[in-house]
Amino acid sequence: MTKPPPPRELPPLTPPVFHILLALASEERHGYGIMQDVARQTAGTLQLGPGTLYGCLKRMLAAGFVEESDERPDPALDDERRRYYRMTALGQRAVRAEARRLHGAVVAAKTRLAGGIS
Amino acid sequence: MTPHSAHADAPSPMLASFGRIYSALLYAYPRDFRLQYGAAMQQLFRDRCRDLARSGPLAKLAFALQLAADWLVTSVREQAAACWTAGHKQTTRGFVTEWAVTLGIYLFVTTTLVQAYVIPTGSMEGTLRVGDHMLVDRVTYAQPGPLGARLLPYRELAHGDIVAFLYPEDTRMTYVKRLIGLPGDRIRMENRQVIRNGHPLLEPYTQHIALFPDAYRDDFPLAPEAETTPRGREMFEHHVLHGELTVPPGMLFVLGDNRENSLDSRYWGFVPRSYVVGKPLFVYWSYDAPTGDLKEWTFGHVVDVATHFFTKTRWDRTFLVPRSQAARELPAAGAAR
Repeated sequence: MTKPPPPRELPPLTPPVFHILLALASEERHGYGIMQDVARQTAGTLQLGPGTLYGCLKRMLAAGFVEESDERPDPALDDERRRYYRMTALGQRAVRAEARRLHGAVVAAKTRLAGGIS
Repeated sequence: MTPHSAHADAPSPMLASFGRIYSALLYAYPRDFRLQYGAAMQQLFRDRCRDLARSGPLAKLAFALQLAADWLVTSVREQAAACWTAGHKQTTRGFVTEWAVTLGIYLFVTTTLVQAYVIPTGSMEGTLRVGDHMLVDRVTYAQPGPLGARLLPYRELAHGDIVAFLYPEDTRMTYVKRLIGLPGDRIRMENRQVIRNGHPLLEPYTQHIALFPDAYRDDFPLAPEAETTPRGREMFEHHVLHGELTVPPGMLFVLGDNRENSLDSRYWGFVPRSYVVGKPLFVYWSYDAPTGDLKEWTFGHVVDVATHFFTKTRWDRTFLVPRSQAARELPAAGAAR
């Protein structure tokens, strides 16, 4: 399932996929943890719904960006078992590539917009 | 799945019922997706509910709206993705079942909760115009069962409500009128003035534009006349006493706001409570067209809309909300019964 595609240019990522990868950059998380972290990253502007979150995770699993870790309860929440996800090396490359793309876009905007972007 | 832990703050009954609705809505997703992620999605839903337990009603509403949008978009997306990737692998039967379930759920939402409706005649002119296309909320005035009463925002009908209902003489048609008489009310009219239970009504929403008087229309109830339908005659026969009409149990008495140009309860009798469809929500499109074109989409009307969409649309009426408005009851006149 996690067979990585042949190395070629990485496709641009949609905002939800980009932020999910960022959420998994430092540690593995379960679905709810990812959702909370994405809301924190974007100051609450991107609230992932269940369908969006698991739809993205399904495609990211198929693309080899993330892999499933084990299933265990989160001691901080309750004793329900939760499926954890972690980022793969390919996912790391994809998120770096996307960050570079976004950085390039910001630089272009800064030089062209009078008075900066703030 | 492990059973839900005995948590100190159990979900409120409202959130619990939303949870049940949500688990039913998951059937709009493809089977594979649902089996793999359905449990996790419900878990996420419960987690969000726990976060929201202590926040205000506005935050809960925002959550419900966000969830509805998420469901609507991603269920279609996953269905399409399932068809695309499965391609020839998927059997025709499976394909048909998946989409039939999704369509069924959408149809449930669109037919049970709201309904589109167009105003074909000028009987409510002054408040609603010919060619106003509106959405009717089917929930608010519905007669709730024991379960639904706690789940959805129902309200009892009140004087002055604008009500959409099935026309009793021909239930294929939906009419919109103003509610004047509830069961038990005594109604009569004196020179266009409605007198309810002895109190003359001050009705700010009515429009009086007729040039000539008409005794039947303006001094209701007199003897039935040619325009009175059999149901109207029946009303006269059984419910008029001493020059006053008494609304029987389970029935409503409605009048148009354009009082002199309205065929309403005066002519065709009461509206059974069970015929009420709902509450007009707002005008989503107002288009200047003759009555005949609005009852059915003819070829000529399609051409007319295509060529005059921008000029004949009454843009200022878009998102207009017709309001319930209670008439003020003036003190009873000396001759009140």
